[in-house]
Amino acid sequence: MLKASRNFFDQRNVLEVDCPILSPRASVDAHIDLISAHYPGKTPCYMHSSPEYGMKRLMAEGIGDIYQISHVFRDDEISAKHNPEFTMVEWYRLDYDLEEMIDETVQFIRLFVGNLPYSIVNYRDIILEKTGIDYLKASEKELFNYIKRNNIAWYSSILEEGKDALLNLILGSLIEPQLGIDRLCVLAYYPASQAALASKRWHGDECVAERFEVYFQGVELANGYHELTDAKEQRERFEEANIIRVALGKNQLPVDENFLQALEKGLPDCCGVAIGFDRLLMLRQKQSNISEVLPWGWEKA
Amino acid sequence: MPQQASTSEIRGGYKVEVEGQPYTIISNEFVKPGKGQAFNRIKMKHLLTGRVIERTFKSGEKLDIADVTESQMRLLYKEADGVVFMDEKSFEQITIPFANIGDTEQWLLDDNLYNIIFYNGSPVNVEAPTFIEMIIVETAPGDRGNTASGRVLKPAVLESGAKVQVPIFVDQGEKIKVDTRTGEYVSRVNT
Repeated sequence: MLKASRNFFDQRNVLEVDCPILSPRASVDAHIDLISAHYPGKTPCYMHSSPEYGMKRLMAEGIGDIYQISHVFRDDEISAKHNPEFTMVEWYRLDYDLEEMIDETVQFIRLFVGNLPYSIVNYRDIILEKTGIDYLKASEKELFNYIKRNNIAWYSSILEEGKDALLNLILGSLIEPQLGIDRLCVLAYYPASQAALASKRWHGDECVAERFEVYFQGVELANGYHELTDAKEQRERFEEANIIRVALGKNQLPVDENFLQALEKGLPDCCGVAIGFDRLLMLRQKQSNISEVLPWGWEKA
Repeated sequence: MPQQASTSEIRGGYKVEVEGQPYTIISNEFVKPGKGQAFNRIKMKHLLTGRVIERTFKSGEKLDIADVTESQMRLLYKEADGVVFMDEKSFEQITIPFANIGDTEQWLLDDNLYNIIFYNGSPVNVEAPTFIEMIIVETAPGDRGNTASGRVLKPAVLESGAKVQVPIFVDQGEKIKVDTRTGEYVSRVNT
């Protein structure tokens, strides 16, 4: 399937790159913890959680459409669907809009799961459909009451963590398992507060993140963005993420200045997506545990 | 300070303490929607009452490990208010009140080995071995006429007092093997 993936990109004239895994600079995300490595005489280095920053530096240099198939690392993520080391397929397309990127992402996923139809659902619509709540207008209290009424087990600090944490719990507990039962489900236009590295745009009365995720049989497969190219806003989002990290009792991470410099120099308008290769294999082979599609899972690594 | 374990270390069978109560972990599921906060959905069974609850913890949170130990002890004799067990190695004797024994009481028989669960140093629970061999002290003679109606089991009382269903060909005074989890007859035991 690695070969089929490479053929897919060759046919589309997308160039394979191989950005480094290890760096003293980190990708800063409130909810992704990095695995650090020791390099003699240096401050801690981090293994990448995605090749995103390196690839965007190349994009800013004007390299054009690129892809990378890479092992990536995330601390403390172990379950039937998670392995701390896994394979990510990530690619970037110049001048694509989000809908074009969604379409190409679906075509790639079809290499593994067959020619399934897909539908795009709006984040706001799916929350409304499944819970009857318009998240934009609802208060935190209303969301919390919904969680209690539906016997969703919650953790004690959730109310202090705000709306996104409440939405996240509802999505993860109640909605995700129902996504993409007989077709591919593209969940798109996330709340602006969950943009990560996506740009934002107005959608009626709502400012949304130009971000999508693809689900099949309740399994999250892909995360894509219309990429944020504004260096100033990117720096602010890193700072916000670090503030949240500290509030959660985690360490602050060193911001990647080389990456921000590349954005300042100018990242061309582009879309990007990252796909969990091992999860595609799981669905292809109809396996319910990720270790079944790895040479061996983390427990035996 | 009690010992702690993080949500990523906790597996089925772990004994933890939540809100001051001891639980055995049944399952632990890691959930991480999109880019959001990861959490663990943990199912656990109360060590004393057997009640199953589900709790959600943020990933990376730490839970207290309950001070729970198990040891094999031999039943010496029953008293009015409890049962006396002896540690095979130290010959130490303890009395466990019937209140803490619960359903296991029906499987208690002198001179058999049982698994005793200690919580914070005191015995709180008695587990019978999965399979136990006992003599039938009371059962009606097999009535062949009844097999035609499809009824092939009959009630029997074992020497420990447990009431079980046995096949009609088994007689009073015979020794049988029983599954204590379900109370089902397994086989005759040749003596």
